[in-house]
Amino acid sequence: MSQSLIRPMTEEYEEFLRDESRTSGKAESISFPNGENDIKKIVDELRREAVPITLQGARTGLAAGAVPSQGHIMNMSRMDRVTGMRKDQQNQFYIRVQPGVILSQLRKKIELKSFEHKGWSQECQKAYADFCDAPEQFFSPDPTEASATLGGMVACNASGARSYRYGSIRPYVTSLRVVLTGGEVLEIRRGEIKAKGRDLTLVTEQRDSLKISLPRYQMPDTKNASGYYVEDNMDAIDLFIGSDGTLGIISEIEIRLLKMPSVVWGVTCFFQQEQAVLDYVAEIRRSLTEIASMEYFDGDALEILRQQKKKGHTFAQLPDIDEKMQAAAYLELHVGTEEEALDHLEKIEAIMDKTGGDAQHTWVARVDVDRDRLLFFRHAIPESVNMLIDERKKQFPGITKLGTDMAVPDKHLHRIVSTYRASLKRQGLQSAVWGHIGDNHLHVNLLPRNEKEYETGKKIYAEWAKEVTALGGAVSAEHGVGKLKAHFLQVMYGEQAIEEMRELKKQFDPDGMLGQGNLFAFQSKGGGNS
Amino acid sequence: MRIVVCIKQVPSTNKVQLHPETNTIIRDGRQSVTNPFDTYAIEEAVRVKEAVGGEVIALSMGIPETERLLRDAESRGVDRAVLLSDRNFAGADTLATSYTLSLGIRELFPVDLILCGKMAVDGDTAQIGPELAEQLGIPHVTDVSEIDSITETAIECKKETDHGYQHLKVKLPALLTVIKDINMPRMPSIKGVLDSQTAPFERKDAEKLDADFQRIGLTGSPTQVVKTFIPERMSEAVEIVGEAEEQAKKARNIINEVLKDGGVEY
Ligand SMILES: Cc1cc2nc3c(=O)[nH]c(=O)nc-3n(C[C@H](O)[C@H](O)[C@H](O)COP(=O)(O)OP(=O)(O)OC[C@H]3O[C@@H](n4cnc5c(N)ncnc54)[C@H](O)[C@@H]3O)c2cc1C
Ligand SMILES: Cc1cc2nc3c(=O)[nH]c(=O)nc-3n(C[C@H](O)[C@H](O)[C@H](O)COP(=O)(O)OP(=O)(O)OC[C@H]3O[C@@H](n4cnc5c(N)ncnc54)[C@H](O)[C@@H]3O)c2cc1C
Repeated sequence: MSQSLIRPMTEEYEEFLRDESRTSGKAESISFPNGENDIKKIVDELRREAVPITLQGARTGLAAGAVPSQGHIMNMSRMDRVTGMRKDQQNQFYIRVQPGVILSQLRKKIELKSFEHKGWSQECQKAYADFCDAPEQFFSPDPTEASATLGGMVACNASGARSYRYGSIRPYVTSLRVVLTGGEVLEIRRGEIKAKGRDLTLVTEQRDSLKISLPRYQMPDTKNASGYYVEDNMDAIDLFIGSDGTLGIISEIEIRLLKMPSVVWGVTCFFQQEQAVLDYVAEIRRSLTEIASMEYFDGDALEILRQQKKKGHTFAQLPDIDEKMQAAAYLELHVGTEEEALDHLEKIEAIMDKTGGDAQHTWVARVDVDRDRLLFFRHAIPESVNMLIDERKKQFPGITKLGTDMAVPDKHLHRIVSTYRASLKRQGLQSAVWGHIGDNHLHVNLLPRNEKEYETGKKIYAEWAKEVTALGGAVSAEHGVGKLKAHFLQVMYGEQAIEEMRELKKQFDPDGMLGQGNLFAFQSKGGGNS
Repeated sequence: MRIVVCIKQVPSTNKVQLHPETNTIIRDGRQSVTNPFDTYAIEEAVRVKEAVGGEVIALSMGIPETERLLRDAESRGVDRAVLLSDRNFAGADTLATSYTLSLGIRELFPVDLILCGKMAVDGDTAQIGPELAEQLGIPHVTDVSEIDSITETAIECKKETDHGYQHLKVKLPALLTVIKDINMPRMPSIKGVLDSQTAPFERKDAEKLDADFQRIGLTGSPTQVVKTFIPERMSEAVEIVGEAEEQAKKARNIINEVLKDGGVEY
């Protein structure tokens, strides 16, 4: 029976060898489990030969975490059911989902209060009825790519624009079910199992007790999705959030919702110089508290968008951007009343004035249609850059986009931006910069025009990783380390810490079956060194 | 040139969700919005003003809360707004609505151009534009996708039809209803939003308009709603998933079903 679950790789599954990092791998077989039982059967079958398993969500990852190097692909896209709902005494709502549920679809369900609830337990039905009567709720993590799966988001500790205020997905994951390669299952609820210092004891549903000693390294004090989350007395659930598909197979997730603020307005401000935006951001951060997100787009990103808009129909719905504008910042206000929101607008206008902007060159989105256009705008920028690189790849197949994902502490924002600009100028590389400037987390995208520039790009990327580490930052703040950033993890934490991560992995996955090549190289039983 | 743009408040979504226990419609608590087609009419009105000079006045018949949407229009370049609001307007059909709107417009005379959306996404009749033009005794063009040129006395525009398009020239004053191809509405600026809070806004009731009470609201509405129903869907799409053999079996079942229902013997 597992035979039909595990299918040989044939041409029809070609696409499953790639993800959005645009790198491609190899595999011998693939499966699409329908539920946790399928996962267990597949794992039991593969364990005999210790076949490497690469887990996949929607393959929107940018670090090749879902790209297999060999062995088996377990794709979670068929596990896309919402399995229940819960309300606690504080009237907070929680939703249980399978890992293949897609973020955009979940959001629609929450927004329309429309769930397929047949088959839910009575308690869940009751919670759902209450949910329908309750004020509007939302799920705060909002990665730009809304076609990601919840499983992939948990595995990468995904963030989005709103993480500036609400944090990454981590605090909203309240329960996980995880299948280990030995076939055991862990069910971990937030708050129930804590480490003592760096010692953690977990008991599987099969009653096996796992005594885990956690790595001893210190994590940076920034937004972070680089390597395992460890700290003294940590909650056990946090170990699996951001584990990049290397410790266990996430088979069910419970997430916590928040009450939607009454007023949500988006404000995009355009500037003629980058420096002005940095000052503007620093000032906004100092004086306004009700900001949920703070995003940045540089002049090159805006220009690429202008060009795409001229060419293509899909981008025609974007509003025109004044030719003089060389940088833009997007803020999202989450406040209780329209008066407060208007008050914020006045303050933003004053700060723009002070930092060299002009409140005429702004877009205020107060209604859904306008907000959707701003989201489209934000998503269109990485899309346009990918299209540009795909075009260049036709002539130089060896190149890819090199996109950074590093964050530094607040006080180093100006400094890291000048570092980026100096290297870009020195090397004469084309680039486009955008990202979560509120968290000092900019994606610098290097756009090589040929193989030589590609090599140069990789070099300066590595230099930046060192610089960011020296400033106390993170080499991957949200996309996860995957395969493409594994060497930076070493730069960030050093070999000793990597060795401790390997030891940790061994305790859950002794044969090294899961996520080969993700985070670090691992001597595995089934497929040699990855 | 004086341009009036008519806007209607509509619910933010037309998806209806039923409560799992009570089976009643869930009120989603979302604010209503400007009828999407009207946002294009607003943009076009502002563009005409920017091209030839003059002023744009937004007009709506609706509940007091509609002020929010009129002010939103003002944040996007509309100069002033008029809301026709009165309990006696409630229950209006398209005849009573167009009569009431025509009174509002007469008070703004001289008016050169009136822009409406192609249709409202809730009422869906697409009757208001033409009826309003008739009430005012002026020409109208529906489904306009482009204004080619405009002078003091005439307007040339492109009208989409089921089989292509027409270029038409009409004398001003005239009324146009617009479709979404006509432009890409702008986003309001911070300055626009802040200024709109204190922009000129007037509310008028039936008395102020000197309305004939026999012609407004429910009393003035000859249309009778006998029955409302959701039209039966005539086509359905199903997704077939699973192994090839499973899929083939499901496809066969569907074909059998269709043949049986259609009374086809084979
Ligand atoms: C245009 C664009 C914009 C993006 N913007 C953002 C952004 O703003 N913020 C952000 O955080 N990310 C962003 N991303 C990256 C990506 O969307 C996220 O990393 C996302 O979380 C990946 O989800 P996925 O379902 O596609 O996972 P995949 O790419 O399929 O997998 C990612 C990792 O998760 C592991 N995994 C997947 N499912 C499971 C499971 N059930 N159990 C255990 N491990 C699993 C995989 O093995 C892999 O290591 C962006 C990507 C694109 C293309
Ligand atoms: C039989 C019947 C009974 C009805 N009974 C009621 C009722 O009891 N209570 C009730 O509230 N409604 C009722 N309505 C709905 C109401 O008559 C219509 O919503 C209204 O007349 C506008 O028609 P429409 O929505 O089809 O607009 P359309 O003709 O589709 O709209 C075209 C354009 O006209 C303009 N426009 C439309 N309405 C307005 C407005 N109010 N102000 C300014 N501009 C406007 C806009 O530019 C819009 O884009 C009823 C409708 C019918 C057909």
